[in-house]
Amino acid sequence: MSNYYNMPKLPTENSPKVEIFVDDKPVMVPGDTNLLEALKAVGIETPHVCYHPFLPVSGNCRQCLVEQEGPRGRMLVIACYTPVAPGMKIYTPASSARVKNARRATQEFMLVNHPLDCPICDKAGECTLQENYMEAGQNESRMRPEYGKNYHGNPAHQFIDAKGQLRGGKHVDLGPRVLLDEERCVQCDRCVRFMRSIAGSEQLQLAGRADHTYITTFPGEKLDHEYDLCVTDVCPVGAMTAKYFRFQKRVWLLSHTPTVSMDDSLGANIWLDHADGRIYRVMPRCNPEVNRSWLSNTSRLAFQNFGKNRLPFMGFHVIQNLVSGVKAEGGKIALAAGGTCTIEDLAALRMLKDSLGDSAELFGGTFKKVGSPDGIAMSGDPMANRAGFKLMGVPENNLADLTKRAGEFKLLLTVNLDIFGEDASQASALEKIQNRVVLSAFNDETAAHGTLSCGVRHWSEVQGTMVNSLNILQKLNACPVCPDEKIRPAYEILSELAGCMFESAADAFKHAGKYAAALSGLSYDTIKSTGKLLEGGEA
Amino acid sequence: MAECVKVCTANFGKGAQDIEVYKKLGGYANISEKLFNMSQFELIDYVQRSNLRGRGGAGFPTGMKWSFVPRNSGKPVYIVVNADEGEGGTFKDHFLMLEDPHRLIEGLIIAGWALGSRAAYIYCRGEFLPCIESINKALNQAYAAGYLGENIMGTKFCFDIFVHRGAGAYICGEETALINSLEGQKGQPRLKPPFPAVSGAWKSPTCVNNVETIMALPWILSHEPEEYARMGTPRAGGTKVFCISGDVKNPGVYEAPLGTPMMTMINDYAGGVVGGKLKAVLPGGSSCAPLTAEEAAVATMDYECLASMKTMFGSGAMIVINDTHNMVDLLNCLGNFYSHESCGQCTPCREGTGLLHRMLNLIVAGKGHDGDVELMQSLCGGFGGVTICPLSISLGGPVSSYTAKFRADFDEYIAKNPDHAKPRVQETYRPGIFW
Repeated sequence: MSNYYNMPKLPTENSPKVEIFVDDKPVMVPGDTNLLEALKAVGIETPHVCYHPFLPVSGNCRQCLVEQEGPRGRMLVIACYTPVAPGMKIYTPASSARVKNARRATQEFMLVNHPLDCPICDKAGECTLQENYMEAGQNESRMRPEYGKNYHGNPAHQFIDAKGQLRGGKHVDLGPRVLLDEERCVQCDRCVRFMRSIAGSEQLQLAGRADHTYITTFPGEKLDHEYDLCVTDVCPVGAMTAKYFRFQKRVWLLSHTPTVSMDDSLGANIWLDHADGRIYRVMPRCNPEVNRSWLSNTSRLAFQNFGKNRLPFMGFHVIQNLVSGVKAEGGKIALAAGGTCTIEDLAALRMLKDSLGDSAELFGGTFKKVGSPDGIAMSGDPMANRAGFKLMGVPENNLADLTKRAGEFKLLLTVNLDIFGEDASQASALEKIQNRVVLSAFNDETAAHGTLSCGVRHWSEVQGTMVNSLNILQKLNACPVCPDEKIRPAYEILSELAGCMFESAADAFKHAGKYAAALSGLSYDTIKSTGKLLEGGEA
Repeated sequence: MAECVKVCTANFGKGAQDIEVYKKLGGYANISEKLFNMSQFELIDYVQRSNLRGRGGAGFPTGMKWSFVPRNSGKPVYIVVNADEGEGGTFKDHFLMLEDPHRLIEGLIIAGWALGSRAAYIYCRGEFLPCIESINKALNQAYAAGYLGENIMGTKFCFDIFVHRGAGAYICGEETALINSLEGQKGQPRLKPPFPAVSGAWKSPTCVNNVETIMALPWILSHEPEEYARMGTPRAGGTKVFCISGDVKNPGVYEAPLGTPMMTMINDYAGGVVGGKLKAVLPGGSSCAPLTAEEAAVATMDYECLASMKTMFGSGAMIVINDTHNMVDLLNCLGNFYSHESCGQCTPCREGTGLLHRMLNLIVAGKGHDGDVELMQSLCGGFGGVTICPLSISLGGPVSSYTAKFRADFDEYIAKNPDHAKPRVQETYRPGIFW
């Protein structure tokens, strides 16, 4: 467990192709990576437990063994730590009984001390051990109960169970968010490596030796970090569990919606795992360019409030009448957008401004503090679509201007902008504006201060796009968890106000191309799940 | 018993811990113009010609190991002396350091000159307190006499030696685990490559040598390398310090040329087997396969002969076992030791050694079953060559060979269980039934 582990090199689109021989058949694989990734690139899956593409290689699970032809004959090597070399000869279980037996032996060893309590384990259904067993194993156990298991982990956590067996380490409280089950731990040390190499805070350690090894924190210390829930993602078994999701739902009953977190301008790629019309958990979605496999607790736990305190839908015609009335009077109109507006919302807003003519003015931004990137999965900027605002020509930092000149306007229309919640003292100037229309997902401070408040869909419930701080255009997908079907996306309401309702997000995106040259050549459906790097951005 | 040239143990019992005595016995004569006039390459070639092989257990040619250390890498070269002697039955380094610490220092200066090194670390097992005391005393004397420190003997060569006390973990005898421990990390073997010769301690080129290897250097340098090579076998030169223990009359440390017949070692050097007839010999420490009495009669103590008999020369630690012992008890001891000393990194070793230990415990407690031995042999098949370091094979090897060669002992124990023939009940549900 030294600090000298190296990060694995992952293949990219530009990787040079080299020829290697897999089971005596020539295949072209990416040449600048490890064998495990190279085989994956040509469709050969290698079972692994400790290897994680975004963690340093530690090579301790010994599950990914393959045979390599070397100067001293065919040797077993671990695929995760063997670099690809042109012309190398590899044998997988497809042709080599030795590899098959070695993998089976490793799997058997791994299950020696692992409790077979899958029916009550929270990880069941997405457990690496289960997957490996079902795919390659399904071997009958050769053990007798007398051989026993060995739970000599932390002496403080030992107990004698109802059958008189020495056990230990159940539901160990590691910190405010994570629980540990020492029995289920297979000592892959992924969580240790995550905390050390990615989080940069050595809060977890493997203590002890041999099969009494156990994961622990330093004495008296707690596992408490902005990214500590990631250890539950990287855990291949049910050892690390998140308190918020523990025993909430069986994972195979969850549906998954790939989308983008709008809490932060990095736009971490996420899965919204939902069932029964509610979100149960948020999981990071792998995107090597953006958030790799990591997600901050802030973004992850934000979903708990998505369904709460929602603003109900109001009649559209009330808003339309109000807006057209102010326009007819010749009063000035302020259109203010918040950071979670998608490109489609902004396109509709621009169209509304065009239809209102010179009397309307665009505002946007946030009063929240802008931090700095943490290098993991947060850019520190709470205004998620800031780059999108710039692209669409919507001001992204002139809210102070709005509050200063509040007296000039007859009508204020805010979209997804909780300006009163962010800074009530500055926003109080806005009460000078006679008509305050609030389009918001939540019944927040601004909605309370509005003269007319109408619910719109939350970003987790809409189709759309956003541009993140790396200038990557990313796609949001609608998770079917909207509390009321009548609630509509903001872009629909805004475009209808403008007199030309967008039929769909794709339609709205097409219109966005009119305002942003960078988007004009693209179509909504061709944006990949990992996003599209726009011109002028840096990867 | 022919009189053997003493390379490492010549000063035993002569009070050579004191530098004056050591110098009177011819010590530090090598630290002279002759050494400093030799280039590094000449010196490495000199050692290569002596056919010296590493005495720690693996038997890698020392000169070749030195030649792998890269020159001009821009990083310091470290020499680390592996004095973490933890293998069961091995106690030679303990006595070598205790009796003759100055020879180790002299050897280190020679190695330091050969490798262009500035500093050496003696990683000494934590329990060897008298050794550490003896070395520290010798180091102080050597510094005072100007053999260590800045500008040794008026040359530009500077060399320091530090003693690092380990915490008594067996695995820290593995060179990369030793380096991890030296750096202050958990003593677990590293993934290789890179090998320590390229990137070892503090990511610098590092040469890890056994105590005995280093202590052979002064003799080789003061004599001709060919003279040293002649004493051994064609593939491995010189003498070897053997530790003989177990059921012999005079257990202890004996120096003998490589290739000495095993029975000569037992009968002439150690005074013969006591307490019964010879049953088995472990020729190279606790982790090697045992030889039966018939095999021991024809074996010679060198790398090739023992390898051909499917055991290993190891560190030259012979454990002699008489026929009053049951091999299952011995194997249970090994199971206890290796399952405790596994570093817990690789799955087969971490879980497998513990499982074997629990199975052996059951057999010894009279709760064994038919088929246990076959299962153990099969489990040991899963150890071979799949882990980072060879600790798992250190238990897997003995389990395979003990069960193969002394099967009767195991059957005797298993028969003590009245239910030994009871078949294993398949309690688990097979997924195939449902899906």
